[in-house]
Amino acid sequence: MKQKILSVLLSAVVVAAMLAGCTSKTEKAATEPASESSETTEEAAAESGEVSETTESGDGTLTVWAWDKSFNIYAMEEAEKIYQKEHPDFSLNIVEVSWDDMQTTLGTILSSGDYSQLPDILLMQDFAFRKYASTYTDFFTDLTDSGIAFDEFAEGKLGMSMVDGKNYGVPFDNGAEVAVYRTDILEQAGYTIDDLTDIDWDRFIEIGKDVLDKTGYSLVSSQAGSSDIIMQMLQSAGGSIWNGDGTPGYVENETLKKCMEVYKELFDTGVMETGNNWDEYIATFTSGKTAGVINGCWILASIESAEEQSGLWAVTNMPSLPGVEGATNYSNQGGSSWGITTNCSDVELAEDFFASTFAGSVELYDTILPGAGALATWIPAADSDVYSEPQEFYGGEAVFELITDFASKVPEFDMGVYYTEANTALATAVTNVCAGGDIDSELQTAEDTVNFDMGN
Amino acid sequence: MTKKSTKTITYIFITIAALISVFPLIWMIIAATNRSVDVIAGKLTFGTKLLENFQNLLQAQPVGRFFWNSCKYSVITTVLALAVCSLAGYAFEIFHDKAKDILFTIILTAMMIPFVALMVPLFQMFSKAKLLNSTVGFILPSISTPFLIMMFRQSARSFPKEIIEAARIDGLNELQIFTRMFIPTMKSTYAAATTITFMNAWNNYLWPKVIMSDNNAQTMPMMISNITSGYVTDYGMLMLAVFITTIPTAIVFFALQKSFAEGITGAVK
Repeated sequence: MKQKILSVLLSAVVVAAMLAGCTSKTEKAATEPASESSETTEEAAAESGEVSETTESGDGTLTVWAWDKSFNIYAMEEAEKIYQKEHPDFSLNIVEVSWDDMQTTLGTILSSGDYSQLPDILLMQDFAFRKYASTYTDFFTDLTDSGIAFDEFAEGKLGMSMVDGKNYGVPFDNGAEVAVYRTDILEQAGYTIDDLTDIDWDRFIEIGKDVLDKTGYSLVSSQAGSSDIIMQMLQSAGGSIWNGDGTPGYVENETLKKCMEVYKELFDTGVMETGNNWDEYIATFTSGKTAGVINGCWILASIESAEEQSGLWAVTNMPSLPGVEGATNYSNQGGSSWGITTNCSDVELAEDFFASTFAGSVELYDTILPGAGALATWIPAADSDVYSEPQEFYGGEAVFELITDFASKVPEFDMGVYYTEANTALATAVTNVCAGGDIDSELQTAEDTVNFDMGN
Repeated sequence: MTKKSTKTITYIFITIAALISVFPLIWMIIAATNRSVDVIAGKLTFGTKLLENFQNLLQAQPVGRFFWNSCKYSVITTVLALAVCSLAGYAFEIFHDKAKDILFTIILTAMMIPFVALMVPLFQMFSKAKLLNSTVGFILPSISTPFLIMMFRQSARSFPKEIIEAARIDGLNELQIFTRMFIPTMKSTYAAATTITFMNAWNNYLWPKVIMSDNNAQTMPMMISNITSGYVTDYGMLMLAVFITTIPTAIVFFALQKSFAEGITGAVK
């Protein structure tokens, strides 16, 4: 008898532990929102004093989720300091959450429907902003009539956080495309930075072959299995991967086809070096395999990590797509915007904070530009003297002024709601084309893949 | 082929295999002493930037707090998981009957459910119970795992029933038999279970990143993720962080490795 009682007790312990921790919580959560057991746990947790709410209401503290301590978080901290001058009781609780982690966490929170765990403010990659804002319409607070002067932001950038004409995000950093070259290597081959300014890709490949012959250096590099550079070319020529109705438009897209042809030629001729992953890509120019980099201006920080190359680099615009009407030498890669969630404890405070800092303070941008190389998309900031200061690393060139000028010329680009899926399909197509695949059939496959992903 | 030459070939093969396995570890340590640019360039010699990387790391991240959090969560999880699962495994084997066997099958079936599938309902439940950002929230889903219960049940199978009978005759109650007879005999199983549970808890990443949104509650693997999330990654600093994160699991493994192999096969001494 005693044995039986003990065995029942032991089994009960296990089953209880399994229920609490592992298996049957699906039904439990769904059917018993206020069960006795959860109340008990609640009490226990309250006693232990460990519970901390994500958002604190009405006490002048806002919680922010952002990644990158030396860039985004730094900028937010500086904005906090500026706002505190007028509002001494204001403070931010900035939580460092990497972009990848944030997607998992947001995915869980949003699909659980329990928005109480969202922060007040969060940073969002531009390419994902519209997807989140249109999939979860109650995720971001509509800021259209918030008093934030949206007309003072670069138009191309502003569109990244807009859905149906409504503003959901405050634009932050600038990803204007730059082409950066090693002047010492160009010189060895008999070229200067001016020879690479305002050119098209045909001329670029011509110079590239010559530089490769004479010095052994490739003129640009890219990351294998990534279609970023194709997207950059496409944007520079005013192209799109989307039809007007939001469906993918890869097939019979002459601009896109031209981009693919240029890419393949860059690859075949050896003018473009490829790194197998991001680290290898960075290594191509920091450890001297390539004489140039073409990417969003945030890449400057990686270039500058090779301190011994100071003074050897120069910045100019990217090549344009030949034979395409309206093609420019300007594009954009990356960048992010701030969003205020619907769980914000004090929306008015958050709006006023943004209106007075990221959308209203020259002082903020004057601080974060030299401090982190964070370039503004808020147009009035560019008038500041800080932007025209010469940069020693780039041979005394006033690069920030130059890049701000580039940013103002970037053609608008519709990233669409399914940008990530479109980008992945394009990357596969590019890889196959480089391996000898036919461009038209690869674009057809890519279009079919995106249609499938979108459920069309 | 002579016996000697076979042996030589075996040794050469084993040496190469060992070098390949250890290389990432060696490279990690080397990288922790170099500048980021050198790491990217693939430098394979020790550098002089260890201290600098360490200072940068301390400046960039609250390493101490994250390390303490990881230690706290892992130790508590390990102790509780061992207590709960060994009791369960013992009970399932020693007092088994048809009903409990069915229950055991159900528990084993739970092993097949991927954690990702449980994440959303778990999150809802923990959020309602206000257990997010808490130690309890971290450890609760991992204190009872089907794998550990199965492991202890397998070990209990080789535990001689005569000992239990003899102990009962000597007047020990059932709990005393478990604590005084079973636990000391099953040391190697406990050692193996400790290693596995500690490592799993220490490296646990998916669950904490969903529930730990407070800076004060984050763990070492989350810190590594944060270091890699910027426009520019300092690889020297990153490798040092990875190295520091590896130390506790390495210590636990090396301290218990002797018993680990025995325990995993369920041997009784």
